[in-house]
Amino acid sequence: MSKMKSVLKYGTIVFASSLFLSACGNGDVPDLDEDASSEEGAEESAESLPEVDAGDGSTLMVGLTNAPDSFNPFYRPGVAGTWIQRFFYDSLLVMPTADSFEPGLASFETEDNQVFTVNIDPDANWSDGEPVSADDVAFTLNTIADPQVETTLGTSVAMIEGTDSSGVREEGTEELAGVEVVDEKTLTITTKSPVDLAYLSEFLGFNVLIAPKHVFEDIEIVDIPNSQEATMPSVFSGAYQFVEYDNDNYVHLEANPDYFRGAPAIETVYARVMNGTSLITEFQAGNLHMTAGGGIGMVPVQDIGLLEDIEGLVVEEHPSFNGQYMVINNEKFDNLEVRQAFAYALNRELTVENLLGGRGEVLASTYSSASPYKDDSLEPLEYDPELAKEMLEEAGFDFDTPLEFVVPTGNAVREQNGNLIEQWFSEIGVTVNLNSYDFPTWLSMAQDLDYDIGLMGWGHTVDPNIASYIQTGGASNNMAVSDPVVDDLIEQGMAGTDFDERYPIYAELQQHMQDEMQIVPLYSDSQFSVQVDNLNGGIKEYWAGSLHDLHEWTLDTEE
Amino acid sequence: MKKYILKRLLTALPVLLMISIGAFIMMNLAPGDPTDLYITPDATPVQVEATRTALGLDQPYPVQYVRWLGRALRGDLGINYSTRYPVLPILVSRIGPTIVLMGATLLFSYLVAIPLGILSARKHGTWVDTLLTGGAFVGVSIPNFFLGLGLIYIFSVRLGWFPTGGMSQLGEESSILTVLHHLILPVSVLSAFYIANMTRYMRATMIKVYGENYIRTATAKGLAAQVILTKHGIRNALIPVITIIGTDLPRLVGGAIVTEQIFQWPGLGRLTIMAIQQREYPMLMAITMLSAVVVLFANLFVDIMYAVVDPRIKYN
Repeated sequence: MSKMKSVLKYGTIVFASSLFLSACGNGDVPDLDEDASSEEGAEESAESLPEVDAGDGSTLMVGLTNAPDSFNPFYRPGVAGTWIQRFFYDSLLVMPTADSFEPGLASFETEDNQVFTVNIDPDANWSDGEPVSADDVAFTLNTIADPQVETTLGTSVAMIEGTDSSGVREEGTEELAGVEVVDEKTLTITTKSPVDLAYLSEFLGFNVLIAPKHVFEDIEIVDIPNSQEATMPSVFSGAYQFVEYDNDNYVHLEANPDYFRGAPAIETVYARVMNGTSLITEFQAGNLHMTAGGGIGMVPVQDIGLLEDIEGLVVEEHPSFNGQYMVINNEKFDNLEVRQAFAYALNRELTVENLLGGRGEVLASTYSSASPYKDDSLEPLEYDPELAKEMLEEAGFDFDTPLEFVVPTGNAVREQNGNLIEQWFSEIGVTVNLNSYDFPTWLSMAQDLDYDIGLMGWGHTVDPNIASYIQTGGASNNMAVSDPVVDDLIEQGMAGTDFDERYPIYAELQQHMQDEMQIVPLYSDSQFSVQVDNLNGGIKEYWAGSLHDLHEWTLDTEE
Repeated sequence: MKKYILKRLLTALPVLLMISIGAFIMMNLAPGDPTDLYITPDATPVQVEATRTALGLDQPYPVQYVRWLGRALRGDLGINYSTRYPVLPILVSRIGPTIVLMGATLLFSYLVAIPLGILSARKHGTWVDTLLTGGAFVGVSIPNFFLGLGLIYIFSVRLGWFPTGGMSQLGEESSILTVLHHLILPVSVLSAFYIANMTRYMRATMIKVYGENYIRTATAKGLAAQVILTKHGIRNALIPVITIIGTDLPRLVGGAIVTEQIFQWPGLGRLTIMAIQQREYPMLMAITMLSAVVVLFANLFVDIMYAVVDPRIKYN
């Protein structure tokens, strides 16, 4: 019995020690506490973080539903990582709205849409006191284009002279031919051919975050992703400074007092990672000021009503650039009538009305109403199951062989829509084998064309170029679409140098895509900005560009 | 006994090796390439290959495994594919919160369930027994996510008595009191199952023990009911209970995936589900091996406890 007592005694000691160690650890999750007050000179470490005080408006609590995946400015696979990086790395230009660009670290000038002069703000500086220079910009672009670097930004530099179509520097060259440093604050960027200024501004000006050359230049290119600077950055050009990331839990940011556009009014930002349900309860409990918006602070559409009922919370609905599509294996279904019949079989209005509660739109073709390039005169195909059945019969469709239908998991509305599609197909006599897989599995199947039909979400930029999805051989063309007309229109669209020149080309592309129905456009669900009414600033209609005035955001305090 | 323990520990080594091989094979048999999650849709084959090479995924599976094993034996469990943060510090930072959550849950559950089970057995067939058995059914049946969300809504959102989630308040110096405050709701949710489960086991075992001849003999000898219970009843009922505790122990590090998600508890359960969703194979291997080690140690612990509780059991 005495042995058992010893075991119990030591067990208790171990548990108590764990409790103590955990209490001292960094497993914290931020809460807004009206009574908490700041302690001057508090040590900024995992063990002793500054006091959070919502009462004096010094701390902003942001809810994310996707964890940031990278703090490496050259490698940004996910939107959450990119969004967080914008707090501490600035881009050359900012995008307050989807169709406007303003100077960020720099401004662009051009006379011929091929040679662009980049004038860096004379006051722009790094948090360690070094000026942001033309060398930093040239270094960033050259690094992204380096054949050895791990990057997700190849397409953002692929228009520069001296790169191949993937944005990789041409063989045998040491530096990009199209990037030339003129002086400390000026450089020129030359593109392979004249391009739309808006295209260059979005991809190169806005998408690329400028990295500090003096910090990264001594790191071997292949070692950058795992380096201290790429995982826990310490030198910043943005309004905030990265303090720490507690994996899948929260990101802690502190104001950059030397930010060249003015020190931010809100001193501390915590971006907390949680699931959609927790996001709702945290808002209900008054523990969050805002969601990140877009796809990374996503409130389930069916729960939006719960947030709208909360007093003091402002919920705004905006159209999204992204869309949901039913992809078709075009290699297997090369008959136009069959593909069109698939589209007529789907009651997409019902999806939007019932599954999205009207908070979205039926897509007529590739773009949603958020895109300035959407052709408003193009109407979605009507739901007509009789016609669908007739067309399939005329096309000699094999009703006896079931369609292999893949629905990826992780998006409740999409999964429910999969069930509806199965039902609609059965109404026209087509049997469907619905299989649900996680996204990586589905992606692998799609790449191998191991499916008949499937559901897929596409993210779009403001620029209408969707070559990677539908051009022959495009990296995300998992439908075996190979259509010379599409390829030609995409080439023409990219060659256009302004909106007026490009719009009719993309309008024609939308019409062609609807006529050929190589993919069936389904719906685009709205995105929501949710924030407390005493936050001045926050998420705007163009979600991705919302951080452009971050340093001016304030939290009004109660009198 | 020392020899026995040493022997058990030595036999654990090949078992762990086999588990690591099995886990590695199963992970890599899953369709889909983790690289797909760490590139953008417009990434070119060159860029995809650069990422595959950097993550070591371009190597044949046996090479990948041997490299992993070599590094793991030196204490390097690899990096997270996405953030490139080392796996070991993340894992270590999650063990404490999970041990606290599950330790508090198990401790609280046993403290409540064992007396309730005994009471239920002693009042066998009465309304008390019916009430406790019915309660246990409810406890076993109620889903964690439902109970968790319900408690959060009532006690955090409506009444504001407890925090909605997390382990302590960021911005404040953590203390045992704040951790305890954050523990109450998740422990309540998790305990519902464990209390119910253990109450049922304890009740069944005690009913069986009460029917044994030695209890009848003790009663016939005129021993007080309290003495019969403590000296003869509970001690003999402990062996099956220890088995149950042994199966619960691995949960100390296994965490509670659903509850940790709902309460944003920064523990291993939440880490596991994130690692699965993001195909973080090095992290999954580390979690699997940690769980395997704990299961092996829990089994050893149970065997030792058998000998402690029952002098008839000896390991030579």
